[in-house]
Amino acid sequence: MKRRDFLKGVAATSAGVAVAAGVGSLPKQAFAKKKGEKEDFGEIKSLKVKCISETSWFDNATLGADIKAAGGINSNQYDVAYNTDNLGGYAALVEVEALDGKKTKYLLDTGWSNDWIDYVFEKDGIDSMLKTKEIDTLIISHDHIDHYFGLESTLKHQPDIRIFFPGTSMPKSFELLKGADFSATPGCPKNATPHTGELVVTKTDTLYKLQDGAAIVFFDAPATLQVRGENVMYFKIKDKGYVTVTGCCHPGILTLINHGRRNFKDGEKMYGCYGGLHISPFENWDPKMDDIITGLKQYKMEKIACNHCTGWIWAEKAANAGLPIVMGTDSNLSYKKVGTLARAKTSNVYIGNGDSVTF
Amino acid sequence: MEARKHAESDWLETRILIPKWNVVLSGLANTLVLVLASLAVWWIFFSNAGIFKLYTPLLGFSLVIWTLLIILWQTQLFDFWPLSRGFLSNSNPLIKGALLTTITIGLYLALIFGLLFWIIGQFGISYFNWHSLVQYGEFGQDVLSTRETTSWAFLSLSVPFFLISIFVMLGIGKDLFAPLAQPRMGLANFLLISTLSIPIFVLFFHPHIGSMFYPAQVYTAVPPWWQSLAMTNSAEYSLGILFCTVLGIFYAIHLWDGYPWTLVTRQPWRILFLVVGSIFLGLVIFYFQLSIMEHIWDEAYIGGQNENNFGWRYSHTVTMGNFIVVPAIILNFFFAPAFSGMPFWARGIIKTVLAIAAGLIFAWAYYQWGPVLLGVVPGVSHPSENAAAFLLLIINLLLIQDHFMDGWPGYRLSTK
Repeated sequence: MKRRDFLKGVAATSAGVAVAAGVGSLPKQAFAKKKGEKEDFGEIKSLKVKCISETSWFDNATLGADIKAAGGINSNQYDVAYNTDNLGGYAALVEVEALDGKKTKYLLDTGWSNDWIDYVFEKDGIDSMLKTKEIDTLIISHDHIDHYFGLESTLKHQPDIRIFFPGTSMPKSFELLKGADFSATPGCPKNATPHTGELVVTKTDTLYKLQDGAAIVFFDAPATLQVRGENVMYFKIKDKGYVTVTGCCHPGILTLINHGRRNFKDGEKMYGCYGGLHISPFENWDPKMDDIITGLKQYKMEKIACNHCTGWIWAEKAANAGLPIVMGTDSNLSYKKVGTLARAKTSNVYIGNGDSVTF
Repeated sequence: MEARKHAESDWLETRILIPKWNVVLSGLANTLVLVLASLAVWWIFFSNAGIFKLYTPLLGFSLVIWTLLIILWQTQLFDFWPLSRGFLSNSNPLIKGALLTTITIGLYLALIFGLLFWIIGQFGISYFNWHSLVQYGEFGQDVLSTRETTSWAFLSLSVPFFLISIFVMLGIGKDLFAPLAQPRMGLANFLLISTLSIPIFVLFFHPHIGSMFYPAQVYTAVPPWWQSLAMTNSAEYSLGILFCTVLGIFYAIHLWDGYPWTLVTRQPWRILFLVVGSIFLGLVIFYFQLSIMEHIWDEAYIGGQNENNFGWRYSHTVTMGNFIVVPAIILNFFFAPAFSGMPFWARGIIKTVLAIAAGLIFAWAYYQWGPVLLGVVPGVSHPSENAAAFLLLIINLLLIQDHFMDGWPGYRLSTK
């Protein structure tokens, strides 16, 4: 549903109405799709998400200094010179079990540093799965450095893989798909294997159904480093409810929940989520982040499996506040590189590298 | 040739500015210079693609709001002290503008980076110095983040100072310290402003800043007490209401010849009327805009992001209000003689309609072309973009052009 369509001229509503409007808590669903119009994209039996890598970079301060030197968080991501020793990447293996028991695998994002992504792909057998075309589709959540710059690590194994790609991606990101080299700037990507398969360029107001019970929705949300837009995976699990799987969740987890409530059949039942929630990626805090904890508590989700740009401090605060944060393990400590947070022996409120969660 | 006249004895009220050509041509010439100056200053000092890259965004944002406040203090509180009337009357506008702007920047550096950053931030309140936050902080306290935290603290501190300064300038003026000459008069009012502004900062903004760390600094700042009222822990609620109050006063000055604040002249009723009336007007501007946003974006919700966030919407009331203030000031500074023959009510209505229409077009143009013309990121609601920074820069330049440079190049100075 296009919410902006409801503005057919600026209404001169009284201040009193505005006061009343400002003190709601749960969205009123006044503009939601009517029951018969809501999307019904089917159901799946279960969903398993394996964290291939959630460590997009290994030290916040180092990346922060790189971005600051380039002019701050509104700089063009292709103009920043990154410290190449600090780069990792984000990728997740999404395994869907259909109602008839058939399993399908999707790859969400393709990381940043080719060295790191090649390493984690080999560790989890992703490289073999790509070669044997066991992985159905690559979904690029968005074209941020840490989700997309490692494209070559996927395409060199399966250049004809179907890709879902945000329509708002930067022009250079489209060039990278075709085979381009931006590596003259440290930390920027190259791709020697042009993509030859089906490319689905996603846009707003369209539901992209992957299979029964699994779909992609594109949100035109702003992000840092001049990136816009994000593809979000929605799943409806039989007898449980909806689960979102995200790269960074730039639109905001409450936005995803409310999109489901407004537009999907039985959308009020949100069961869980996996991925980055983009709340405190640099582990800084703002009182608005407390609002997200307050907001989420209203929806009674059962599994919040978060990592990456969520911010460890948010996850810890959320767990302490009683939200159902799924705990990870120490498996990430066995990887060849470990991030600053893990080295500091923080609590396992993240689904870390090598961990899995089943919905 | 028509002229803008003032009747009292402060320098700005003594001046008579006469259009060099016809009013429209003079106004357009000034507007053109303003546009070029705004673009040049933005690209050199603020843009990410520029030289100094001050628009981080909050560092640049805090800079323009403080320099604007300092210009108001220089002109309204201190009446251009220490410059003599002879210098103000006879100097070339470009030399005068350069000198007064240099003083503004010098005062900004002394107050914000001298007193607040280097002294208070190092030896008193750590959040006023980003290096102190890095030094004493743990996770998250790296300079990319702490620079924004400190800049937010600067910005927050400016809001009560702005509001109280406007109250004192318009509602008290010389009434409280009448026999004093400059700089005593300015200093007395400045101390009064500081005395009132600092407690307001502590009440409405310090709880927000105390919550910007993990764990929250509850032994030095109570958690945001307005959460159940504002549906957010963010102080953008206070910021929105207080700054909309300032905007209401600005609209009255520039669109309605100061009416209704000029209705009451006897103290203490004058200041009381201004405070109560402007807060009421500010609340109307604030909530009226929120109702429009509700129609455009549907209802906000707790923890929502971008345009669904209560805090962002509160801040956006100020941004949109500033889009209208800019043309309002341009109409008053550059085109005032064109309206002077009209009855008061007709002048007020026409200027208001023009300012709102121009402001909305300006907003549309900013969001449409800002990424190309200014190098800002696209989109209306963005976590690291706020159009108010550019708008406040323009208001800075407007005041420099009119107050410091006597309406150069379209106007020339005459005195009674």
